Amino acid sequence: MRTLITRVNPLVLLSVGAFSLIGSFAVRSLPVAAVTIGLYALAALIFLPTWRYPLACLAFSGFAAVTIVYSTWRLGGQNTEVAAVAGLRILVLAWPGSVMVGFIDPGRLSDYAAQTLRLPARGVAAFSAALQRFSGFAQTWESLERTRRARGVAPGRHPVGQVKHSGSMAFALLVQAMRGASSSSIAMDARGFADARGRTWAEPATWSRMDLAGLALAAALGAVPIVCFFAI
Amino acid sequence: MRSGAISFRGFTWRPVGRKNPTIAGLDLHIEPGERVLLVGPSGSGKSTILHAAAGALGTTISGEATGDVSVDGRLGLVLQNPADAIVAERIGRDVAFGPENLGLPRDEIWRRVDAALAAVRLDYPRDHLTSALSGGEQQRLVLAGVLATEPDVVLLDEPTSMLDAVAAERARDAVLAAVGDRTLVVVEHRFEPWLDHVDRVVALDPGGVVGFDGSVAEFLASGGRPRLWMPGAPPPTPIEIPAEFVSPAVVPEAVDASDVVLTTRMIRGTRRHRALSGFTARLAPGTTTAITGPSGAGKSTALLAMTGLVRVSGGTVTPDRTRMRSRELAREVGWVPQNPELGFLTTSVREEVERTASVLGVEVEADELLALVGLERFAPSHPYRLSGGEQRRLAMISALAHRPGFVALDEPTVGQDRDTWAVVTGWYTAAARAGAVVALATHDPDAPRDVEIAVGEAVTAT
Ligand SMILES: Nc1ncnc2c1ncn2[C@@H]1O[C@H](COP(=O)(O)OP(=O)(O)OP(=O)(O)O)[C@@H](O)[C@H]1O
Ligand SMILES: [Mg+2]
Repeated sequence: MRTLITRVNPLVLLSVGAFSLIGSFAVRSLPVAAVTIGLYALAALIFLPTWRYPLACLAFSGFAAVTIVYSTWRLGGQNTEVAAVAGLRILVLAWPGSVMVGFIDPGRLSDYAAQTLRLPARGVAAFSAALQRFSGFAQTWESLERTRRARGVAPGRHPVGQVKHSGSMAFALLVQAMRGASSSSIAMDARGFADARGRTWAEPATWSRMDLAGLALAAALGAVPIVCFFAI
Repeated sequence: MRSGAISFRGFTWRPVGRKNPTIAGLDLHIEPGERVLLVGPSGSGKSTILHAAAGALGTTISGEATGDVSVDGRLGLVLQNPADAIVAERIGRDVAFGPENLGLPRDEIWRRVDAALAAVRLDYPRDHLTSALSGGEQQRLVLAGVLATEPDVVLLDEPTSMLDAVAAERARDAVLAAVGDRTLVVVEHRFEPWLDHVDRVVALDPGGVVGFDGSVAEFLASGGRPRLWMPGAPPPTPIEIPAEFVSPAVVPEAVDASDVVLTTRMIRGTRRHRALSGFTARLAPGTTTAITGPSGAGKSTALLAMTGLVRVSGGTVTPDRTRMRSRELAREVGWVPQNPELGFLTTSVREEVERTASVLGVEVEADELLALVGLERFAPSHPYRLSGGEQRRLAMISALAHRPGFVALDEPTVGQDRDTWAVVTGWYTAAARAGAVVALATHDPDAPRDVEIAVGEAVTAT
């Protein structure tokens, strides 16, 4: 069960995020919000190979949710329930998609984007090569942070310093990405990318029964709040 | 007629931000099927020439190009940093990228992928992860990706510089077997092992002019050109760096590592990778310790663990600097990373050298330091606009200008010609003589050392 996720096609994984996004608009009350989040969490427990990773994503989207809760509470007449629902809605909107993105193999995604969705081949290939670079980003971030620490310019515990530091790190990462991108484009062009016409794909984009079942499950999860919305 | 010729006619290149051209009036003609070794001191323009042949100058890299470059046939290029050339998550798909661009049918794509992987002797299944390859394996993967397009010309920029002798020989054999009778241009500093396999040597002099062009026999008979690693010559004597530039500004403290284990997590926590196991060492003040071992054995990790820049998963390192504030750590430890590009903090070479020292309130003579490592001309340049070897030297003095007590260098001698090698080795030997604790992770057998510690066999995923 727990490795199925690596075998369904990437469009199915993306659809999980898309359906949750549509569904999130129908999250209007606390019980519905709780049920929806609960079902997504259950699905995560059943289908994902690890629980740490979805939990990390939850923490990230939770951070966004908390800021929404707080501002809704402040501005919305300090109504706790309205604020909580607004927060949970953000979770429904962002969490499933953010988890799924982590399991997408950029190469397979480009197969489907080009062959099922018929997007332009060159754009798709360039995009997928760029996504591939993202998997190295966490590592790059670590190395950048390490060098900064060794050079005496990492921040202390002061929050202002911390924020400034993340800003300069993000900038360094961007520069690094751009430099990498220019060498990457030299390397890609040297493999026939510059004058690729009628590009082909090494693997077909097929839809198995499992993919269809996955798609149905994604749609069903996204439909939960919508059904509740109309039923109540 | 066979394709695969390369020719430069009056080619001149002036990159953005430089007053003078870095390649001036180059005339070079390479015949189809010729195997050429391109050598020259650091910064002489070797990488630039390969970029020019690949058509990247004036397009992807900005500057002003005049004269003619032409390449007859399909070209394949392996850059100095292989990680930049990987486009897919699995090795099979990565190699397939070129054939896909050529619009080949599916079974032909996979036939070529398998043939290319076999040619470079990378025997993993097609769905092996590219992120799980060591530096040397990545280099072979990139070569396979290039071969799968069946190029007429293969250009390689320092393909074995990061490898130990055994791994380098394996990579070289793979290259030679795979290249067959195509045109080959290979750039290398430690070029001796290539001499038996090439037809012609082109040596650049500083400023991008051809100083020698002829057969291998003529090249050897001519005695070569200054600064090159000619076969049989003993390694140069490290130059004397005055103690004032290196003698520790803090009291050096011995470092003890005992039974250190380090594991890292890969791919969203689903796999663990043991980067180091059971590493024990004692680094004493006034001593240079070399950490050696085969490619992928964990040399860099061992070095890092001792600096306190990573937390260990088992064992102990004393003193434990992992909780120290950045400034205090920097005052005591100078770490020179393997990939210098990741270390640059500023937008000019001079500021880069002054950065850490000014944070710590230590006075440095940036211009004198730059002159010592031969970078004085580049003081106002952007650190990214330097050649590979120049960047490494800059990273070294930027990390050490404030005279820390513990000097930790990761592969400091890679990519240097004889003169710059003598500067780099001179720097750390002088620091040790002045009482600093010095450790280097290295595969260079000539790099001077007092003590050697070998880290275990290449460790694999657990
Ligand atoms: N992106 C760039 N912008 C401006 N100048 C550059 C750039 N890259 C290199 N240079 C300069 O061009 C000259 C030749 O650099 P190149 O990288 O070709 O040297 P190299 O012979 O490959 O040296 P190394 O052995 O150190 O790799 C050097 O003076 C270098 O400072
Ligand atoms: Mg170079």
